Amino acid sequence: MSDCGCDKARKDLEEYLRKEMCSTEHADIKEHLDNCAACREEALVARTLTEVVARACRETAPDQLRNQVIAQLRTAQAAHS
Amino acid sequence: MTALLERPARPLGGHRHARTAFGTRTASGKGAALDWAAMTDEAPGSAAEADDTARARAQFEEQALPFMDQLYGAAMRMTRNPADAADLVQETFVKAFASWATFTQGTNLKAWLYRILTNTYINSYRKKQREPYQGTIDELEDWQLGGAESTTATSSRSAEAEAIDHMPASVVKDALQAIPEDFRLAVYLADVEGFAYQEIADIMKTPIGTVMSRLHRGRRMLRESLAEYAQERGIIAAPAQGRARSGK
Repeated sequence: MSDCGCDKARKDLEEYLRKEMCSTEHADIKEHLDNCAACREEALVARTLTEVVARACRETAPDQLRNQVIAQLRTAQAAHS
Repeated sequence: MTALLERPARPLGGHRHARTAFGTRTASGKGAALDWAAMTDEAPGSAAEADDTARARAQFEEQALPFMDQLYGAAMRMTRNPADAADLVQETFVKAFASWATFTQGTNLKAWLYRILTNTYINSYRKKQREPYQGTIDELEDWQLGGAESTTATSSRSAEAEAIDHMPASVVKDALQAIPEDFRLAVYLADVEGFAYQEIADIMKTPIGTVMSRLHRGRRMLRESLAEYAQERGIIAAPAQGRARSGK
């Protein structure tokens, strides 16, 4: 399973998924993924990891912080007018 | 006036360098760029000038404040506690407002704010925290950091993806907190904020190759630690025979 393009696909999977490669390489890897279930699953894990991290890290700033920032900006503006 | 004249070709927003600044007016005359207001309007510190700073603040609030939740999320991952995160965000906004005149409208505001956040964190907060020294971690060889995919190779990828997908947010955050800071930050900026490699390189002031290596390694550590968590709970099969339990 490892001489059919898997090695390259695995190595560059992150760049592929993030569209950080040239279109030729991108097309090569896409073609490989179309034909290789194992690498598709690897890509699924990688994508899932990104989604889960993004989901877990979503935060809402406390209202108190928002108010403090706005108050500070007004003070800064007043000091410099 | 030189600061202004040096940027004649900037099509959009270039003139803002001349006007929006509050705080560029100084006794030394360094605030010359701001004096166009005074030239047409005899009294310095006039109503027109106050209007300008008010406009700058309104513009800043309108454009920059919507990023507060995101910046707070990043600050939480950096400082690892809400009080420091709030302080860091506050300091970031104050600094960003102070140099608002240097921001070129039409360029990437989010990346600009993240640069200020990251600088502020590195310069003032990181020093306070007692993280183990990590200066040379980029130079560690792969084998020193553990194998790439081998540890999770025994269970099927789709089972792993499913286990990761159902991981509680607190577990994911703990796992992220546990990886070295530079790796954590690269993962955060790429996965949560969706920054491109070049943008992360600018924010972290490192070459793109370093960004890629930190991101790959950080994600690998994260993945391993989540796989370990899943194995311990029997969610996915453990690598060694006999540890596999059924059920979830």
